[in-house]
Amino acid sequence: MRQRSDAELVAQARCGDRESFGELVRRYQRPAYSVALSVTGKHQDAEDAVQEAFMVALQRLDDCRNPDRFAGWLLAIVRNRSRNLIRRENLRSGDEIPASASTRLPGPDRMADISALRGRLKEALNTLPELQREIVLLHDLEGWKHDEISERIGIPSGTVRSHLHFARKALRARLAEWKDHA
Amino acid sequence: MGNDDRIRALEALDPGQGRPGYWERLRGQILERAAFELARRREAARQSVTAVLSGWSRSLIPVAAAAAVVAAIMIATEAGQDRSPAPGLVFEDVLGGGLDESAFQAALQSDANANAAAFLAFVEGTP
Repeated sequence: MRQRSDAELVAQARCGDRESFGELVRRYQRPAYSVALSVTGKHQDAEDAVQEAFMVALQRLDDCRNPDRFAGWLLAIVRNRSRNLIRRENLRSGDEIPASASTRLPGPDRMADISALRGRLKEALNTLPELQREIVLLHDLEGWKHDEISERIGIPSGTVRSHLHFARKALRARLAEWKDHA
Repeated sequence: MGNDDRIRALEALDPGQGRPGYWERLRGQILERAAFELARRREAARQSVTAVLSGWSRSLIPVAAAAAVVAAIMIATEAGQDRSPAPGLVFEDVLGGGLDESAFQAALQSDANANAAAFLAFVEGTP
């Protein structure tokens, strides 16, 4: 079956079609999470930001002037919601939400490894500028191509490559330090 | 650190790691929260279809009524034009009408037939 374009899904979702909106969520929840994580640095905040962003996107779907570029439009909302969330978090007294709220874990050792690695990666990622974090997560975690990132976040492809290069270099240096200490 | 290593490392940031069905659950939560807005949009779309149809009917009925009036006027006008008076009996008709020759002869010889009307009266046998 032919994959429906974003524009078709947006048109249907505007009329309240649950299945079409669900497909948009399926398509973009992972990149949205990556962007949110690149801003918030916390799993729970990123998840909240993704949920909020999809709600805002649905409510403002009529404002999406170019439905073919739904992804870029959505990711801009995700970025804004994530920043708002951080601002709200900063206003609250620092009651830290645990990074993992899962109930089904694979086992203590594996989880400890994942958790440690996750912590280190977050630390390393947090040393990068926000845009570089976003690009490295979209490219290396979500598998988006340079051109896709360029189109969807609205910067030239060459700039994406350059940011990716510097982000990887910085990450490599940080993680090498960690490996040496371990 | 190669590309594969880096991607493997970054996968640790994927919340789906070690949590089967994580993404499907997140999608379910989003759709649950979106249910009200989706229902509102369905209702708005339904109402806009009804509005379009009733808008059409609002403009179509007067147009159809006007068209019917115009059509009626045109039919009446054409019928009036068709009702022109039937032509009377003309001399040529009489000539081609199959009257017998003796009547013609008599008519042509008669002094009373000085004009066409008198001639016709004579031929038709009317006084």
